[in-house]
Amino acid sequence: MSGAAAIVGVGYTRYGRLPEFDAYELGLWALNIALADAGLRFEDIDGLIVNRIPDYQRFCEIAGISPDYVNITPGQGRFSGIDIETAAALIRDGLATTVALVYGNNGRSAGDRYGGAGDTYGSGGAGNWFPYGMTSPGAFHALMARRHMERYGTQPDQLGIVAKTFRDHAALNPAAVMRQPFTLADYHASRFICEPLHLLDYCLINDGGVALILTSAERARDLAQPPVYLRGYGMATTLAGSMFPPDDFWRGAMRKAGAKSFRMAGVTQADISTLMIYDNFTPTVLFSLEGYGYCGAGESGPFVAEGNLSLGARYPTNTSGGHLSESYMQGWALNLEAVLQVRGACGARQVKDCAFAHYMAAAPVTTSIIYGREPS
Amino acid sequence: MRPLPQTDGPDAPFWQALRRREVQVQRCGGCGTHRFPATRYCAQCRSAESAWVAVAPRGTLETWCVFHRPYFDGLPVPYTVIQVRLDCGVRLFSNPAGPGELRIGMPLEAVFEDVTDTVTLLKFKPRTLA
Repeated sequence: MSGAAAIVGVGYTRYGRLPEFDAYELGLWALNIALADAGLRFEDIDGLIVNRIPDYQRFCEIAGISPDYVNITPGQGRFSGIDIETAAALIRDGLATTVALVYGNNGRSAGDRYGGAGDTYGSGGAGNWFPYGMTSPGAFHALMARRHMERYGTQPDQLGIVAKTFRDHAALNPAAVMRQPFTLADYHASRFICEPLHLLDYCLINDGGVALILTSAERARDLAQPPVYLRGYGMATTLAGSMFPPDDFWRGAMRKAGAKSFRMAGVTQADISTLMIYDNFTPTVLFSLEGYGYCGAGESGPFVAEGNLSLGARYPTNTSGGHLSESYMQGWALNLEAVLQVRGACGARQVKDCAFAHYMAAAPVTTSIIYGREPS
Repeated sequence: MRPLPQTDGPDAPFWQALRRREVQVQRCGGCGTHRFPATRYCAQCRSAESAWVAVAPRGTLETWCVFHRPYFDGLPVPYTVIQVRLDCGVRLFSNPAGPGELRIGMPLEAVFEDVTDTVTLLKFKPRTLA
């Protein structure tokens, strides 16, 4: 049901190296701020989903809450979109009235690494390929980027423009970890991690926490902040055969998830003011633009080269700096940024007259969420 | 030491076949689909019937990447990883057996590379078309 649920409170910690905090504490830090933002109390939470926090029971002990509904999801970035859509459904169906979504990530201080013998990206079946040196989500995306380049003529420069544009946005965001702008020459000079991807094509592993509070549209009207409505959402997966990169760059699933969310919201791409794209690596930005219909299949390279993703252009994207330059908060901080943009609370990086923000992810699980200023 | 496969697990027939310069994968007894790594059930028809069969040691290059950051002791960078689709339909990650230009879609043939006294890896080189 379009507009039945709204985000009424948001909270986030500092991002960076926070070794004195564990994931529980980072989550609780963010939740405290989100409740204050909404004008709600801990006792008002009757639904809770924690993500990347190791244990829901321990979290509730620490937070001193006993919600009616509780759930926990694995520390993969796909679950930010899944958890938000689930919370909206819980509220719609009356299983809970006020749902807190709490994310805590101490990956940087805990020394979490992607790639190598401990890597379990995807289904965890990757050990078969270690003898050949194949490992890491970055390499998986490098393989896809190479195919996109050969098939459509996508240029390394165009990936560089994505990274540079998000860094320019991060320069306007006091919360961003990396705020120093760079040139395309700097991009090309940055070392290769897994060619064709450079260091600047990769997101930033950091510590941090994000919390979002959702409630029904009815209750949202009486709270402290202007509600930001979940106008449309949809999800689709490409899990069969997902040990290898998909032939269609996840386009089929994105079209399906995108169509569901646009139909529910009653809007089209032409109505959207700003995009928040899950940017674990720069190529997923290109795949998302194609999959969610902001440009044609294979046309994302020229589309970004035209400057469409910059503040002031047609589709300002990842205005916070995204995972590449703000911090890799696994989709949570991008959804947070979507809410702040629709509230009009983004200061120097505010998108003018931001009526709709579209969060999207390209991955084996694709999620699409359209946020709006009005309930219908 | 370089990373080595678990050769005594469910994929043992695959690794044993490589020692004999042969490529073997599972073939579903229900629908005939080839698969690797080993699974009890077929992901196409869910049949539990299967047998290890020899398949043509040939395939096509689907894509590749070059590792510049080291992740494993014993695998010095840079090195290239290729994604190969065998003619029987099974996909693999592997390495090129030697230097040379790579092109998506190029035909490949198997090269059996002994890396220890008990382990042989399946690598690939460009196939010269007769």
